[in-house]
Formats: sequence, C-alpha cells, structure tokens
Amino acid sequence: MNNLSRRSFVSFTLASTSLLAMPAISTGSARPKVVVVGGGAGGATAARYIAKDSKGAIDVTLIEASKHYYTCFYSNLYLGGFRDYDSIGHSYDNLSANHGVNVVHDWAISVDSSARKVRLGSGATVSYDRLVLSPGIDIKYDSIDGYSVEAQTKMPHAWKSGTQVKVLRDQVLNMPKGGTFAMVPPPNPYRCPPGPYERISMVAHILKEKNPTAKIVVIDPKNKFSKQGLFMAGWEKYYPGMVEWIDNDTHGGIKNVNPETMEIETDLDTFKADVACVVPAQRAGAIAMNAGVTDGDWSPIVPASMQTKADGNIYVLGDASVASAMPKSGFSANSQAKVAANHIRGELTDSRVFPAKFSNTCWSLVATDDGIKVGANYRAGEEKIEVVDKFVSKTDEGNAKRKKTYEESIGWYNGITTDMFS
Amino acid sequence: MVKIVFKFFIVISCFLIFRGLVAEPLLDGADFDYGEYLSGQCLTCHQNSSDEGIPAINGADAVYIAKKLILYKNKELENEVMQLVASALDKEQIASLAIYFNSLEK
Repeated sequence: MNNLSRRSFVSFTLASTSLLAMPAISTGSARPKVVVVGGGAGGATAARYIAKDSKGAIDVTLIEASKHYYTCFYSNLYLGGFRDYDSIGHSYDNLSANHGVNVVHDWAISVDSSARKVRLGSGATVSYDRLVLSPGIDIKYDSIDGYSVEAQTKMPHAWKSGTQVKVLRDQVLNMPKGGTFAMVPPPNPYRCPPGPYERISMVAHILKEKNPTAKIVVIDPKNKFSKQGLFMAGWEKYYPGMVEWIDNDTHGGIKNVNPETMEIETDLDTFKADVACVVPAQRAGAIAMNAGVTDGDWSPIVPASMQTKADGNIYVLGDASVASAMPKSGFSANSQAKVAANHIRGELTDSRVFPAKFSNTCWSLVATDDGIKVGANYRAGEEKIEVVDKFVSKTDEGNAKRKKTYEESIGWYNGITTDMFS
Repeated sequence: MVKIVFKFFIVISCFLIFRGLVAEPLLDGADFDYGEYLSGQCLTCHQNSSDEGIPAINGADAVYIAKKLILYKNKELENEVMQLVASALDKEQIASLAIYFNSLEK
C-alpha cells in the first residue's frame, strides 16, 4: 500500500470509527475520564498527549496546585546566573485553550481506588476511568538527624525548584568573603542524578567571580556519582582548588546537621558552613503512597505501559516510579508519559497501541559554554525497563563540542517545555 | 478515450512522483499513526518554537528526514543523541517518522 492510500485509508477508517462511536462520545458525561495528578514533566505531558491525540474523545483533568510551574531542570542555571527566574516559569493556560484539558489548581489529597475517585483539598471529588499519578518526589526530612521542614530556610534543599532555589541563590550571593559553601547531596535513588554536581559547578561559577577566596566542600553520602570524571575535570579546570569532594568512605557517614550553628557532623569531622545546601533522601510524592501503589518509597510499574503493578487503572510516571535503569529526570518522565498516553488511549478508545520506547538525555553545565551530557535508549523488559544503548560526553572532546552541547541543552529546554505546555 | 485515460495516468503519476510517494524506496512501509507515536521521542527536543541548538524539523521533506536518520544510524553524522535515537529505529520506523514530520506545519 503506498503512503497516500494508506493515509486516506486511515483517515477513512478513523472517520468511520468516529461515526460509529458517536452515540458513546456525543455527551460530555459519557466520555471516558482520565485524571492526571501533578503538572510536571510527566503529568503535563501525559495530559497534553492524551487530550491532543484523542481529539476530544477523552475527558482529561489535570490536578496541579501551582498556577505557575517552575521547572527543576534549568533551576541550577538560574542559580548560576545563566537564566532569569521568569524564564523557568510556565503556565497551564495553553493546555486548556489548545487541548481542552480541564486544569484544576488544587491538591489531590487521597485516592479511593475501588470507587475510582480522587479527593481534592477543596473537598470536591473527581472520578476517573484511568488515573495518572506524576507527583514527583517528597523530601524525607527525617532522613538526616537535625534536618526538618523548618530547617529548609537555613539549609535549603532547593530540590523542587521554585522559591527554595531563590533562597539558596540569595544566600550564595551574600556569603561572607572567603566563606564556605557546604553541599550535602542525597543518597541514591534521587531526582536528577547529575543535579547536585551541576549545582556545585554553578555555585563555583558565581564564587569565582564574586568571592574567589571562598571554598566549596561536598560531603557526599555516596562514593561515586553521575558523570563524576567529567565534573571533577571541570572543577579542576575552571575552579582550581575551590571544590573539595569528600566521599562517604572518607568522612564515614553524615551523623547530623545543625541549622542554628550551620554545622554538619560526620564521623571524620564537623564541618562549619556559611551557606549549606542539604538535600535529604527522597520518596514518591504522598499521593502515590496514599493510593496504595507504592512498595517502600517508590511505585513499581509494568514497563510496557507504566501501569502500576498494584492497580491497572493507575499509572505512575517519572520520579515516583521504579523505572529501574531510567534515571529520575524530567526527560525520563516526559518519555514515560508518552508511553502511558498511548496505552491509555488504546484502553479507552481502542486506538492503536505501539510498543513502549523510552529515552533519556541529561545535560549539565559545568562552566560558561561548557556543557556535558549522558543519555540512553531503553526498552520495556518483562520485569524492568532495560538499557539498550548509551553514551556519555568525553573528557577530551574540546571546547567547540562543549559549547555545542550547551547550545543543544537550550534547544532541549525549549523543546521539552513546549512539549509539556503548548 | 484511450488518450484521456493516458493523460489522467500521466497527471496522477506526476502528482505522486511530485509528492515523493511512489518511486521512493526509503519511504516504503511508512505508517502514519506509528510515525505520530514515534515522533513523541523527537518532540522532546525538536519543536517549532525554537531553532536554537536543535533544528525545527516540522514540514521538512520526507526523503530528507529519512536520509538524515540513516546517516545518523550509520554514524556518518555526528551527534550522540541522534546516533542513539536513530540506532534504535528500523527502516519502517524511519519511513513512518519521515512522513509524519513531513505532514506537520512548518
């Protein structure tokens, strides 16, 4: 069949199907309902693709507390002064205007999976045929002795973008001359594996210009990290002598933090900081816990569809899921959302379901015009999402290539935010 | 009558050749719906909103897209992300993506 006739055939078939299906979808209430909780890279993408591709055949509601979403990705570039704050903020207006998504700015409080209802902060309930949970992470405040919700203004984690990153940037800019910036990265698994190390690079970039005698000490609960060779070579090249990274075996473990004295105690030593970014351990957003689709801190999923193993009517995307080989990143969540959207449409409107295909690339900025990246393709194995092929930037690839990689990351930022919000 | 049929045949053939849809083996087996699904992977980066750093490809010639993807697949064009994406695509998937992106508005 040549392409023209195939397309005509497909259009004709779709038209016929729509006519046959008319009685079922002609009234709003009869349309199948999808509720998406969380308007980040997973949720906004899922809502947009389900609404866009079903062309109105599915009633899509997106529940997201914030009216303006500030992306976590690129929040480090705001911290380093490469982006202004407004440039990482996005509204949901186009999802309603262009695709008919019903955007509800509220918190999802609980899920009644047997009645298929989500209860909102306002007290209202929303019923669903399929539920997509993409709540991102919750911070485990009690995972570090001495840390708490109150401590986060003194020792910001700044791991969910927004105002916390503003607080941290102000603290770095106002740090005493020759002071110490301490970073406590989170233990695995956590959102954005290269994120803490890109953050160190961005803080070093500010300090090099404004406070060159300042020091950065990284007290890591891990012994290795993502893109380690690339970051460490970059720190040596651009910020020589400024960054000291101490692995877990060397400091022997983080015993506690004290936001009042700004001290971080380890087996080895007590570190006193002028500014401290402390990122505790993480778990799936509370609504995934509440829906009963988690096992431990995260939600196990069926790789071919992103349905939870616990409940076939509930899908979990992004950071909250156990996506095995895929890192917890915005790119991963966006990729998983498209697999889930295709599967949900197939279930609710009998549209064609294609094999799951996943991908991820994480770009990081080390210094001005020096971008690095790591990426992989993935397939849905029986039990787990598995790596097919991967790449990582090379330490000796030259300045022109690094500049190009940074520019590519700008293209990606524009691309993914359009893919989520347009 | 034969003349009319012949003229009609010529017109249709020209149209199909012009559209690049007949004599182009690179596009054999293309499936529009499959292309739409697969495009999700591309749209994370390739959007019309920006040409900065990553080219906008909507509305590009289908054969051009297919040829580019094959060059990336064979590692004859540089870019790790594109080499990775293309390496996981078979001939039918490349053809499907090519006709799908060609159909999008520039």
